[in-house]
Amino acid sequence: MSDHARFEELVLPHLGAAYNLARWLARDAHDAEDVVQDACIRAMKYIGSLNRSDARAWFLTIVRNAFYDWCERNRPAEIARDEGSALDAAVDHAAVDPEQAAVRHAESKVLADAMAELPLAFREVLILREMEELSYKEIARVTNIPIGTVMSRLARARALLQGSPRLRAIGETTTRGNR
Amino acid sequence: MNCDQASALVGAYADGEIDGLERQSLAKHIRGCAACAAKHADILALRERLRAEVPYYAAPPGFRERMQALAASAAPVRPVTTKSARERFAWWGGGTLAGSLREHLGWLASGAVAGCAVMALAFVLGTNVIAWREGQDLATQAVARHVRATLDHRLIEVASSDQHTVKPWLSARLDYSPPVRDLAADGFPLLGGRLDTIEGRPCATLVYGYRKHTIDVFVRPEASDAPPLRELRGFNVVHARGAGFDWTAVSDAGADTLEAFVRQLVNEASQPSKG
Repeated sequence: MSDHARFEELVLPHLGAAYNLARWLARDAHDAEDVVQDACIRAMKYIGSLNRSDARAWFLTIVRNAFYDWCERNRPAEIARDEGSALDAAVDHAAVDPEQAAVRHAESKVLADAMAELPLAFREVLILREMEELSYKEIARVTNIPIGTVMSRLARARALLQGSPRLRAIGETTTRGNR
Repeated sequence: MNCDQASALVGAYADGEIDGLERQSLAKHIRGCAACAAKHADILALRERLRAEVPYYAAPPGFRERMQALAASAAPVRPVTTKSARERFAWWGGGTLAGSLREHLGWLASGAVAGCAVMALAFVLGTNVIAWREGQDLATQAVARHVRATLDHRLIEVASSDQHTVKPWLSARLDYSPPVRDLAADGFPLLGGRLDTIEGRPCATLVYGYRKHTIDVFVRPEASDAPPLRELRGFNVVHARGAGFDWTAVSDAGADTLEAFVRQLVNEASQPSKG
């Protein structure tokens, strides 16, 4: 199979997942397109190293790397904020004041907003797990961290979302409304 | 298992990452412990809300075609030349480390690069052999049909959410009549159907939606032993037998979701049609 045929058959089917991941990481539609575009060029470049059985995790790894490189060039502060002890101090990052939460009471946008406000390191594992349904092993590979760290970051990401006052304020109403 | 141990594992348990005896003892603990049970329920509730309320962003129209054209104009790196092998190494190694290695240990690094090229070549040979072996496999064929149909935009030949439209269309073109059920109530709306060829025989393919994913279900009269679940080229493939048919589902939706979906589909097909 030619390299371009390999790209079309193995990589292109995962373009939707790639765009969704880039969109959630960059939090902007236009920037997400730039990131995926860069990822496609890289994927084509390294298509020879693609193993047939794990095309999705392989391509998502490239998308994530492309995002971090893009971020370093365009929003260096965002990565710096996530490094080291900043992660431990991130408890209230997703929080907003209860008044604001009350105003947005009925909007289902609230959870999406809280998710978008999670620090990068937590946002990415949560998206890969809950939206792409990757296994811990795959997430570890895509994000280049040990499986144990995948586990603890997921726990932290969930705790941050569940602990967000924005969510607590609306949690009960929404749950009841859905049933 | 005590509460501290269990509490640390509840997340992994909810993610289906715990197997065997540990899974059993954890399940037992959660049944008996209100705190851990609440923690588990919270994770499942959050998951449901995330799936219902958080958008799965779709790429803008024409994006796919643009990326396809972009890739057509890009050239892959050849593993056999020294320069490209160095780039390959830099990519996997994270750039900076490889770069400083090259600067400070020029001649030594070039030896390492030659080693990489040999390994890359062996790797390419290895994957080709595997690909050749997979050729005869049912799962391989199913994934190939799914991808082909997606790329050719002929995923659906008869578009309808009405099982009474899809079923006769398929029956008229096949020597068997596949059971067709809409699972919209479970989050898997029937989108339509098409014809494929699997193992040299015409086959009914039912197409379902799940959030932004598509699921292809290949339905064939019961024949061989059903092979187990597997993953291929990043797609999940689930086989099942029931209601007198063999079912093969292919999707980029998660393995858990796909398994639950197929179980539900076969279950529905085993019962008389409601519609």
